Amino acid sequence: MAAAEPKLPEQLPVTQPRHVGKDSPRMEDPLMVTGKVEYGNDIRAPGMLHAAILRSPHAHALIKSIDASRAEKLPGVAAVLTGKEVKSWSRPVFGVPEGWTGYALAVEKTHWVGEPVAVIAATDRYIAEDALELIEVEYEPLETVADALKAVTGEGPYVLEGKQSNVAYDRKFSFGDVPGSFAAADVIVRERFRWHRSSGNPIETCVCIADWNPVTGMLTLRGSHRSPHLILPALVISLGVSSQQVRIIQSPLGGSFGVKTFARYVILISLMAKKLKGRAVKWTEDRIEHLIGSSTHAWDRHYECALALKQDGTVTGMKMELIDDLGAFSEWLAIGMLLKPLLCLGSCYRIPNVEYACKGLVTNKTPQGPLRAFGLPPHFWVLEQLLDVAAKKLGLERNEIRRRNFIKKEEFPYVSPSGNVYDSGDYEGSLKLLLEKSGYDRLLKEQEKARSEGRLVGLGVVSSIEPGLTGPPMLALAAPRIFSRTSSPEGILVRIDGFGKLIAELGFPPGGQSQHSFVRQILADYFGVELEDVQVITVDSLSMQPSTGPISSSMAIALTGAVLGAAARLADKLKRVAAVMLEARADDIELLDGQFRVRGVPGKTLAAAQVSQFMMARPDLLPEGIDGNPEATYVWNPPDRTIPDERGFGRYSVTAAGAQHLCMVEVDRATGQVKILKYVMVDDCGVRLNPSVVRGMLMGGMAHGVGAALLEEYVYDENGQMLTSSYMDYLLPTIMEVPAAEEHEMCTPSPIAPLGVKGVGEGALHTTPAAVLCAVNDALEPLGIRITEAPMSPLRVWKALQGASR
Amino acid sequence: MATSRTVKVRVNGVDHEATVEARKTLVDFLREDLGLTGTNVGCEHGVCGACTILMNGETVRSCIMLAVQADGAELMTVEGLAQPGGELHPIQESFRDKHGLQCGFCTPGFLMTTYELLSKHPHADEEEIKEWLSGNLCRCTGYQDILESVKLAATRLRNP
Ligand code: FES
Ligand code: FES
Repeated sequence: MAAAEPKLPEQLPVTQPRHVGKDSPRMEDPLMVTGKVEYGNDIRAPGMLHAAILRSPHAHALIKSIDASRAEKLPGVAAVLTGKEVKSWSRPVFGVPEGWTGYALAVEKTHWVGEPVAVIAATDRYIAEDALELIEVEYEPLETVADALKAVTGEGPYVLEGKQSNVAYDRKFSFGDVPGSFAAADVIVRERFRWHRSSGNPIETCVCIADWNPVTGMLTLRGSHRSPHLILPALVISLGVSSQQVRIIQSPLGGSFGVKTFARYVILISLMAKKLKGRAVKWTEDRIEHLIGSSTHAWDRHYECALALKQDGTVTGMKMELIDDLGAFSEWLAIGMLLKPLLCLGSCYRIPNVEYACKGLVTNKTPQGPLRAFGLPPHFWVLEQLLDVAAKKLGLERNEIRRRNFIKKEEFPYVSPSGNVYDSGDYEGSLKLLLEKSGYDRLLKEQEKARSEGRLVGLGVVSSIEPGLTGPPMLALAAPRIFSRTSSPEGILVRIDGFGKLIAELGFPPGGQSQHSFVRQILADYFGVELEDVQVITVDSLSMQPSTGPISSSMAIALTGAVLGAAARLADKLKRVAAVMLEARADDIELLDGQFRVRGVPGKTLAAAQVSQFMMARPDLLPEGIDGNPEATYVWNPPDRTIPDERGFGRYSVTAAGAQHLCMVEVDRATGQVKILKYVMVDDCGVRLNPSVVRGMLMGGMAHGVGAALLEEYVYDENGQMLTSSYMDYLLPTIMEVPAAEEHEMCTPSPIAPLGVKGVGEGALHTTPAAVLCAVNDALEPLGIRITEAPMSPLRVWKALQGASR
Repeated sequence: MATSRTVKVRVNGVDHEATVEARKTLVDFLREDLGLTGTNVGCEHGVCGACTILMNGETVRSCIMLAVQADGAELMTVEGLAQPGGELHPIQESFRDKHGLQCGFCTPGFLMTTYELLSKHPHADEEEIKEWLSGNLCRCTGYQDILESVKLAATRLRNP
């Protein structure tokens, strides 16, 4: 059988890795810099129609009637789809816990501003949009609930038909002796926090092209779909189609950050295609639709927290209670974002007794959807802020309190109170490196000087972990029937042709993560060829191996495992053929630097190309069990994961990357504007397959984190109208707000994951908000004020400044 | 109903004449009528910069212009950057070499902005570069590597 998986790059069958672990040009770039990459919206099919969606102007209203007859008569309009057909042709969109979602289109009533009410297909997008204006809908507005704290009271109005509550999920987890730890504490720190909703906002919006052939029954989907393994089951459940009749052809993505994992619009456009009977229809979301209606918002949270500490700063207990406003439906996997903190309740710290109570509420706001980092950034911010407050109270330096609580280097693998395992790390070493590299002592002096001049300068130094490769086990807590799985498979096919060139087929498309490039690096080293000798492509959902794709900082881990497994299987096959050619025992053949040779017999070597040629040319000479096909597939699965028990105790993830960030800010007293003066990070994501790609992930995550901390917010009025429906008022960070950060590497290779890698895809978004927000509060400290809401937008900071006694 | 007009433009050195609805945006005209899909649309309201192209040598946002407004103009899109033989423009090479892109969706807009910047200010310093790039949003890359890409491109263009 295949050789053991290499745990480090040095164990690859090559004297010296030439590509793995080094910066390597990206395979994806030439198409992208020339404008030749075909994104979803670039696709045109013969006779293709264009869809536009009519959306609800009310947060909560009964649909009394819809009259589309004028729209249908407009020249160019092919069809109008309304709730009646959607209800008869489909079931509600899948979501957990089950029973808390609605149809892909509003049927009897609308639940949020932006909910689809009708879809039009026409020969041209302009005509489709003209026709939207001709649809007459009679609404009867209902009382709205746009505030989770109101929704939780148990009084109406109720968002979902047939429900007598707005509480979709309510669960308390408790590990250790929490009451005991609080009773015995020397100091208790209590605080409330509020994290407002924002989202991923990839620069490319969502695109779906559906074509439903009435003759074959085949539904073909193209566009910016990210996860066929998630979209397909949703289609099967909601549309009642059979799985082998759905073909998803994935285009390169102009970013996703989780938001293109979702299936609501895919179901909707598929239903429109069903109505069109054989004509393809394309829908390209516009930005306003993305902002108000896309089910891509995330993390709308109210926290109540407490830390119990000893006089020396040791944290003995933590209580965290949170209410998350899920929006109109508990759709798809959104609830998982409430559960993910279970993987790392104490972050980098040893906190033995923890209580975590979480409620998911439905309200008349846009539903939430998956977002990069899946709910952890608020968790880490809250915890880091509590530590800062506790340090002040105890008269400890901010880093000292952290050092006293860090999980120590020798304690890995560390089993957290909830049973999750952190594979490796050196948090204290990382912090030391961070403080050295950033010149921390000098920064403190600068801050002191600035303060003496009356300037508001602050520092934040925070830590976090990034659980790599999470997934089903935590969802088992919300939907055990569906998610009691430990798998999140990643499969690949690798073949070698008669010229010795390698081809790899992946199940998910480029979207910024550079996976084609690192698969190429690994294969080039494995078979001792040049980068140019390796081709990597994405295949459609009917051709691909089981694949999960870039979810939950899993990609590099799982895909590396898949490539190594397939390469080993292929090499094994080739070895047995080489044994025939070299007249040796298969066990004596080894692959090194792309040559098959008899161990200990110098001079007897064969290039991989010679072996594959022979394999295809002389099947009659091959040993039993070896066919004439030089290819192999492999599906990698995370090892050692468990399904959580009824207490929520389980092994949820595979790796735990660590990060320590330092941020220095200055707050403008007059305007409330926050300027980041310095940003330094140390990241330990184990072995870096391609350092510049890792750095890119971290820098991009940091930029997103700066936005989440200081700018980005979906604001609603009390009637559930969204006030931030364009980029004029939903502010994304530009080059002016995002600092030039320094990044330093700490490496504790994962002892579990292939090649020692750990997840890094969610990147600095875990840590940056905490660093920035803690720094702002440090800056405001001389004024005796502290902000406990994120984002700390200019307006929010300015208001806090106005309230400060001067 | 919508009125149509004839529009003549020269795009990447090629002349085009077409009848378009007066309300059609320039980016839709380029992408749909001329098949030049390299220019991307991110926001359609002039904020993200993804649709940036050159019109008579100056950057414009093609999502908030109408095709008819470009009548008689000389346009350049990302497709016009590389040499006809496929050789990358030094700006494209620099973005590749400095990892100035991830998903690549914002990239055509950044490339075109950089093109105008470096043709007008070959010695642009860091502050000027930031100022010029501040109208383009990138969600993946985090700007630092984009800044480095532009600096490298400036050096390469000055010393070919
Ligand atoms: S698409 Fe034109 S500026 Fe965003
Ligand atoms: S590279 Fe993805 S938006 Fe810039």
